[in-house]
Amino acid sequence: MDCREFHKTHSAFIDDTLSGIELVGVQRHIAECEECAKHDAIVRRSLLLFRNLPRIEPSPDFSERLNIRIRELKNAEVPPVFHHSRVFAATIAVSSALMLGYIGSSLREVDSSRDIVFPPVVASIPEQELVPITTPAPALVASVPAGLPIWTAALYAELAPIHFASADRQLTQSGR
Amino acid sequence: MDDSAVVTAFLGGEERAFSELVERYQTRLLNFIYRTIGDREKAEDLVQEVFIRVYRHLHRFDRSKKFSTWAYTIASNLAKNELRNRSRNPLVLMQAVQKNWQDDDRPLQFEDTTSRPDDMYRKRHLREIVEESVAKLPEHHRHVFVLRELEGKSYEEIAEITDCNLGTVKSRLNRARNSFAEIVAPYME
Repeated sequence: MDCREFHKTHSAFIDDTLSGIELVGVQRHIAECEECAKHDAIVRRSLLLFRNLPRIEPSPDFSERLNIRIRELKNAEVPPVFHHSRVFAATIAVSSALMLGYIGSSLREVDSSRDIVFPPVVASIPEQELVPITTPAPALVASVPAGLPIWTAALYAELAPIHFASADRQLTQSGR
Repeated sequence: MDDSAVVTAFLGGEERAFSELVERYQTRLLNFIYRTIGDREKAEDLVQEVFIRVYRHLHRFDRSKKFSTWAYTIASNLAKNELRNRSRNPLVLMQAVQKNWQDDDRPLQFEDTTSRPDDMYRKRHLREIVEESVAKLPEHHRHVFVLRELEGKSYEEIAEITDCNLGTVKSRLNRARNSFAEIVAPYME
């Protein structure tokens, strides 16, 4: 094994994933090459330093803050009932759209000969308006059931008090 | 009780099972995201977001796969998005760095040898050097590097989490290891 090969396989050597033959080859090379042996030592020591860095811990209120956020998340979630009603509304909307589409397409397909035919409009003389009936005098109305001509009935009605008064005076004069 | 059983219990209506998942993964995910983005406070926010997404979408999770891979995939995507947002807005990155410094985490000046009176101080300094060295790795390399070296994920899992093929994962990991060693080496001598 030469130095180039060593550098190519060095990572696998550190991870201990080399096959038996490769492993022996690298170990032999390190024993012979001072430069590669030094490189191997530096890499291993530097990795050891990194792996030994102190681990940081979450702050004491980490879990509490997380729980608050999860509670907020739960409250903000859409309730299942609402979720179902949204599905239902979407289904209604889609079926309505389909129905409207079907109606529209069937209207277009209707033959023009099947249209409703109305009778022709005939012009006619407009009807005359009725003249309202004016209310007649009470005497006139009363005379009609009696069967008398209108003018005599009216005359009798007007002269009646005079006849009564002249008959009374004649009776008085004859008595003296 | 393995993760799969806990997931099944949660999907069966047992709310406590979710707390169990949080308990198992909060520290691991926090460290993974923190080492990837370098901002502790933001990392914690992102871990919260991971669990919120897990809670919301667990019913869609393919149970023939590992829960941990799925959780890490969510975390990985969130971390990538965070880094992408920062690269678009450098001010955010600057504010994050300043905020960390104000928390008495100001990186020490390596050149100032008089400021290392004892071992504890040196160790702290070395830790900061290591953390800075990780941050210097290109984003794609860092992602694979953290998943392998910190979280101990297999190549196959890393390929799934990062949505890359196996060859790309191996190549990136090899480069990341070599680059990291090159950056850190001068401080180890």
